Amino acid sequence: MSAMQINGLGLVGGFGCGRGDLQQALLHGRAPLSHVELRGHSFPLLQADTSPLETYLNKRALRRIDHFSRMALLGAFQAMADAEWSDPDPSRVGLVIGSGYGAMRTTFDFLDSVLDDGDICASPTAFSNSVHNAAAAHISIQLKMTGPSLTISQFDQSLVSGLVSAHQWLSEKRVDAVLLGVVDEYCSVAGYCWERYFNVQDARTMTPLDFTRTSAVAGEGAVFLLLQSDRDTKPRYGSISNVEMGNLSGSQPTTVSSHPLILGCEGSSLSGSVYQKHLAVDQPVACYTPLYGASPVTQGFDLAVAALALRRQQLFPSVDNGGSYYPGKVVNEPQACRKLSCLKYGFNGEYAAIHLERD
Amino acid sequence: MEIKEKLKQVLIDELNLEDVTPGEIGDDEALFGDGLGLDSLDAVELVVVVQKHFGVEIKDMEEGRPALQSINSLAAFIEAKQQA
Amino acid sequence: MSRAVAITGAGCLCAAGMSLDSSFDSMIRGERKPQPPRSFYSDHTEAYPVFELYDSLPATDVDGELLRTTLLAISATMEAIADAGFIGNELAQLRVGVCIGTTVGSAMNNEEFYSEFRKGADPDMAPIDRYLRSNPAAAIARHYQLDGPCQTVVNACSSGTDAIGIGAAWIRSGYCDIVLAGGADELCRVTYNGFASLMIYDALPVKPFDVHRKGLNLGEGAGIMVLESDKLLAKRKKTPRGYVLGYGSATDAYHLTAPHPDGRGLRRAISEALQTAAVSPEQMAFVNAHGTGTPDNDKVESLVIADLFPGVPFVSTKGYTGHTLGAAGAIEATLTLMCLERQKLPENIGFKTADPQLLIQPVSRVTEIDGTIALSESLAFGGNNSAVVIALERLP
Repeated sequence: MSAMQINGLGLVGGFGCGRGDLQQALLHGRAPLSHVELRGHSFPLLQADTSPLETYLNKRALRRIDHFSRMALLGAFQAMADAEWSDPDPSRVGLVIGSGYGAMRTTFDFLDSVLDDGDICASPTAFSNSVHNAAAAHISIQLKMTGPSLTISQFDQSLVSGLVSAHQWLSEKRVDAVLLGVVDEYCSVAGYCWERYFNVQDARTMTPLDFTRTSAVAGEGAVFLLLQSDRDTKPRYGSISNVEMGNLSGSQPTTVSSHPLILGCEGSSLSGSVYQKHLAVDQPVACYTPLYGASPVTQGFDLAVAALALRRQQLFPSVDNGGSYYPGKVVNEPQACRKLSCLKYGFNGEYAAIHLERD
Repeated sequence: MEIKEKLKQVLIDELNLEDVTPGEIGDDEALFGDGLGLDSLDAVELVVVVQKHFGVEIKDMEEGRPALQSINSLAAFIEAKQQA
Repeated sequence: MSRAVAITGAGCLCAAGMSLDSSFDSMIRGERKPQPPRSFYSDHTEAYPVFELYDSLPATDVDGELLRTTLLAISATMEAIADAGFIGNELAQLRVGVCIGTTVGSAMNNEEFYSEFRKGADPDMAPIDRYLRSNPAAAIARHYQLDGPCQTVVNACSSGTDAIGIGAAWIRSGYCDIVLAGGADELCRVTYNGFASLMIYDALPVKPFDVHRKGLNLGEGAGIMVLESDKLLAKRKKTPRGYVLGYGSATDAYHLTAPHPDGRGLRRAISEALQTAAVSPEQMAFVNAHGTGTPDNDKVESLVIADLFPGVPFVSTKGYTGHTLGAAGAIEATLTLMCLERQKLPENIGFKTADPQLLIQPVSRVTEIDGTIALSESLAFGGNNSAVVIALERLP
């Protein structure tokens, strides 16, 4: 596979907004935990704040734009600005957005309008914004992007599926660059389902490397990367050299024990058992999920961390230090890094692996 | 509350026109295009708003277009339908 | 080097028929029966017509584990795989990608669950379990035990066309030897109420391109193509039914719901499709239009077709299927293939009176066609536009 350069980064999540905030959170090993009200009690959430979007768009422009699309817009604007690209041609930039669950809150707002006042009072604005590609539409309108646009719904494999398409478009020269994003939002229904599925008692610290426990804390956010084909100039961050997606029933992701592995484990004992079974003991690993929480955006944030690490050619210490529960090697000290991978397993054996390097 | 005043408030609330106050919406001002700047999606949202807050149905856009021109035209339309 | 990707199998379920052949045949006979929905109730004063499938689906789901959309997708896949001549567990031994377009299949919008939740009750989690199991691409991969790239495309109404274009690209780049590509969507109250609220739902049976058209009618169904690499074709010694010659897509970047009045995104998508197929507009035997029956869509689309494909017959098959959202582009791609094979087009049912605002009219009777290449196009909410070029021969 020909390499893709990461040349722009935009992100918002529980740790804050932008690569500066993520870097600070990585250096301190923590992110501020919020709480939201859920059914009369407090629900811990690594929550994204989109108020920085007002530096790009005024209130009038944002009036019909929901939280999901705001996170997406914030990520997209930042990534394009971060690319420091003089005179980009937006008609030659493709847009790929992945989301595990889409604009859930807006879908339920639409149902509210129907349940409150009847079918004839269904809100057309809520409906239009609940359609999965609404965020892509808003981004294309604001950034004047008239090239190909693709929105993907693939749960935890949304990012890697998007990378496959981004690579496709770049290698066929359909576009000169791809703005690739992954976005997911919290809503009370998701929080409620979370509590029904996971028996998480007053979780405060995530220990995702403990594969036998459920310690997940919910997260939300958006990550956008500007990707371009390999070229003469060095990438701003690093290059994605390979992308692998499949199912463990048929194939395995490639891992090289000399390259550290950022694990997208989320403190779920369901998928935890898959990690436990398939990780070699001598494989150095790191996990930063506690900074952004569990959601399909997690691997997007992992990719951002990998990009930041390659830029400084040093991997950040793992936020989960492995305690006494992780039997293998955890990267607990900063270490020189020019090649690494991001790996995520799903509980049905799905895998998503992204391999990166910097010359 | 007078229909026109209620309409202006409901418009601001339901269409999320945070940067506008009821006093700033002229009774005769064009709601679409160059006036208040609403668009086709706002138009269909307004149909729902009128149904929800005034119990009046706009059957289709042939009926809707002239009614939705301004606060005046919309208030007149609502009054006529409510009295019918 | 030819970019053509072989189509070795096709499957289609829609209101017109439970298979591709039966759908095509009933369209040629000019049959359609849009009705008020049976599977759900709504309190609109108008009973908006839908194109519903009443027969039980080939894919069985005894445990109620999957969304109807996913069952539709699996059912059409079953037909396509059999058509391609694969039996039993053969596919599990190959590297197979799955690329499926949908709208409802990826929406967590179960009304009963949410209604209970809102009241503060503790609803049964079954609808959520079902939703989590039902991602169409992942569910097909699981059903057939496939290992390869999986992608559920949620580009609204162009998803089906996009999925086929994307699947063809995966074959060309060697990611997989086979791709199951297409789209599926079921009827549901949410989309029904949604389109009604936008006031683009016709209370009468849909009339694409007709002067009295008032909007769309929703439908449900699925369309799937089996796309195959030349390497595998040679090994299997299989003759393809046809080819995906080219694909293009572009964005209007104009409005959340309304199409660009000049169809700028559609023009660019068509241009890319023709260019990647290395064919010219005059070579098209026909165009399968998106033709939803909304005043805006049909106006913009006819403007573009008149401009780019003068003299080329075109038809919207949505008069027979309704607008099947994520499935539409895929169902229409399979119908495009059939029309080429049978060398005829069904009439654009619903069209009776020309609209003086539109420069051209669709075919108003069953029409013999001459040629082996055709284009199918889709326009979506959010300004996505896609087009795919289908042909009977590799290098026309």
